[in-house]
Amino acid sequence: MRLKSTERAPDEQKRNFLKIMGTLIIGVGMVGTLRSVVQYIIPPSTQAETSFPVLTLVLANGNPIHTSDLIVNNSATVTFDYPLQGEPNFLLRLGDSGNTDVKIPPSKVSIPSTGGSYQSPGGVGPYGSVVAASAICEHLGCVPPEIKFFPPSSSTTPGKIHCSCHGSTYDPYSGFSVVTGPTRIPLPSLVLSYDSTQDTYAATMMVGPTLYGHTSDLSGGNAITTKGTVVSTT
Amino acid sequence: MAKQNLLEKVMNEPQPLPRKVPDYMRKKGGIWYWTGAILMITFLYESLTGLILLFYYQPAHPYSSTGTILAMPYGTVLLTTHLYAAYIMIAFLYIHLLRNLFVGAYKKPRQMQWLTGILLLLVTIGVVYFGYSMSGDVLSADATDVGRGIAAGAPLIGSYLRSIFFGSGTSLSLFMRLEGWHIVLAGVILAMFALHFYLAEYNTIMPSPKHAEFKVPAVDNDDPSYKPWYPYNLLYMGQVSFFTLAMIFIIPSVLAILPNVPVLFSPFPQVSVSSPLASSVPAYPPWILLFIYKELDFGISSIIGPFWASLIFIGLPVGYLLFIPYLDRNDSLKLSRRKAVLYTGILGLFYYIGLSVWGAMEPGVPVSNLVGFLFFAVPMLVVIPVSLYMIKKVEAAKSNLGNNLWKLYSILPVIGFLAILVGITSYMFLDGLSYYDLAALIFVLVLLAISSLYAYGWIYGIKENTKNIKMSERGHLVFGGIYGFLAIVIFTMISDIPPTKVEYQALYGIGIGLLFVLGGAFTKLYRSYAYHEG
Ligand code: FES
Repeated sequence: MRLKSTERAPDEQKRNFLKIMGTLIIGVGMVGTLRSVVQYIIPPSTQAETSFPVLTLVLANGNPIHTSDLIVNNSATVTFDYPLQGEPNFLLRLGDSGNTDVKIPPSKVSIPSTGGSYQSPGGVGPYGSVVAASAICEHLGCVPPEIKFFPPSSSTTPGKIHCSCHGSTYDPYSGFSVVTGPTRIPLPSLVLSYDSTQDTYAATMMVGPTLYGHTSDLSGGNAITTKGTVVSTT
Repeated sequence: MAKQNLLEKVMNEPQPLPRKVPDYMRKKGGIWYWTGAILMITFLYESLTGLILLFYYQPAHPYSSTGTILAMPYGTVLLTTHLYAAYIMIAFLYIHLLRNLFVGAYKKPRQMQWLTGILLLLVTIGVVYFGYSMSGDVLSADATDVGRGIAAGAPLIGSYLRSIFFGSGTSLSLFMRLEGWHIVLAGVILAMFALHFYLAEYNTIMPSPKHAEFKVPAVDNDDPSYKPWYPYNLLYMGQVSFFTLAMIFIIPSVLAILPNVPVLFSPFPQVSVSSPLASSVPAYPPWILLFIYKELDFGISSIIGPFWASLIFIGLPVGYLLFIPYLDRNDSLKLSRRKAVLYTGILGLFYYIGLSVWGAMEPGVPVSNLVGFLFFAVPMLVVIPVSLYMIKKVEAAKSNLGNNLWKLYSILPVIGFLAILVGITSYMFLDGLSYYDLAALIFVLVLLAISSLYAYGWIYGIKENTKNIKMSERGHLVFGGIYGFLAIVIFTMISDIPPTKVEYQALYGIGIGLLFVLGGAFTKLYRSYAYHEG
């Protein structure tokens, strides 16, 4: 005769089998549920632009800037937004200590954090001295006035871009590469095109590392809807 | 000994938390002792999903950001289950309330517990109201308009009430307040619930009136023979939670695939206020508040104004419930000594259901004073003999209702509903013949199989309860294995379904619900196998 279930000691092996089944059921239930939560909270990456826009650099009045509007080794900070709204870039006309234009050749810039490297675009304009790069510090995202360019004549960090947040230094003369940390990523370079017949400048794309705080250069913000991008001096 | 007030007692005689509970609470039918636990689980589910929903909700764009939520992967599952868990919570609140009303749980020493419970009901309805209005669809606009009208009708402070709850008049201030109140009141629920729960532990579980020999104070004297909390109650709680979660996932997901779900039970927001279709949607509040809408249609309401009408229709029953512990003071738990309570309870339930159904059928149609009078007067006369008859039956302990035909009848609609579901999905399957339709078909069949097995056991089990059939050990193992296998199958299927379409997400919701069903069924099996419980 069968024993009543209450009179029988449960067998350890069989009980373990049931325990494994139980863990399995509850485990897949939890994984199945959590997966949807995770997928849900990942924000949609809305590409504000499908490709880099080409934007002429203009003055506040809407007229394109010319080489004469740019001062060599300007100690004031000159910036414009690119590729999306509210993302500042330095616009520099670089010179030597005597304030004569210096031709900036394209150079190989290494990225210490990854060990990789890329080619910086080099200077444009009649003297090959106008360069641009993101003005968002790649260390922790400080923007001007915390991060700024110090002309060759200044007493501290001459000829460098220095971020006062945590002391990172970049060299605009060699593709905005890293000079001193804590940053381990150079400032992303902006590729300018120069129209020598009109003497105008346009921003065409970014090269190098991704802009600070972005998953891609073209997402996480709003597109610039005006015809050009306005250059402002502070 | 000098009489101590509750505060003194609580402070000076700390109680063990959590208490051991009597073993009969985990036996068949013991679920009636756990209606509060089910409420706690729905509340936890609401809090979690509510916080996750906050990631995308923007009061500045209520309707379009609700759309964003729905467009996110699994967004429809999240939003529809958030809505339906609230409905389920309200439904169980009423069940919890009526159950405790009829067993006399409001009596000494649980008066405080009862009071906090009634307040919790009010606050919960408030949270549901504000949450329901957050979507910015036409129903939300109707609901806030009615709410504004009621608040503004208050004497002296009307305009303050209106701006405190509904903002200064701009859309942004309105939705910021709806969101704010929704969350603040949910926090109030949490705090009051903590007190309610602490009192429940302090006053001990209320044994069935029979155990207490129908005398107050009905308290449970910690019997040393009670089994410890771990693992017995923990497993039981797990089982209850799994089944509750299964309900939360399955009901709205099934409604999401069904065509032509009535507006009142649709798990989705309706069209926006500015849509040309807006006028075709009846001005419904959430169903739990339908009675207030209908009450506003009564002739008398238009004379005294919406504020006073609502105050009477909500205030009277709530006031009555709040004062019950002090009105019904005798120390008997016998229904025959509490005829008035039973009578008013049934009458109230009747009015509530009646007004709600009426509100659903004829929203906004004015009711003449005579009809209104008859609506309230006739049940009063009918309910008296009915409740007297019930008391006699219950007291005579004639719980055996003869044959179980009524149970069969009561599950027929469910089976019919599921049959329709099978029909629709198999039609879809034959029509499109896609993998997802196959998945839908299988889910529905599993659902059907589980519910018909359950229904069979319900009817058959009651009849045969004297025989006390127990499953063999091998049976436990076989079923455990089957459950595990099914879990893997369902998991694989839902992992494979992309959350790209509403129907696919609904399938995912049903799949998760089925996993929880399996979790609950397995816990029950394991308790029976390892601890011979249940
Ligand atoms: S943010 Fe520029 S150095 Fe840290």
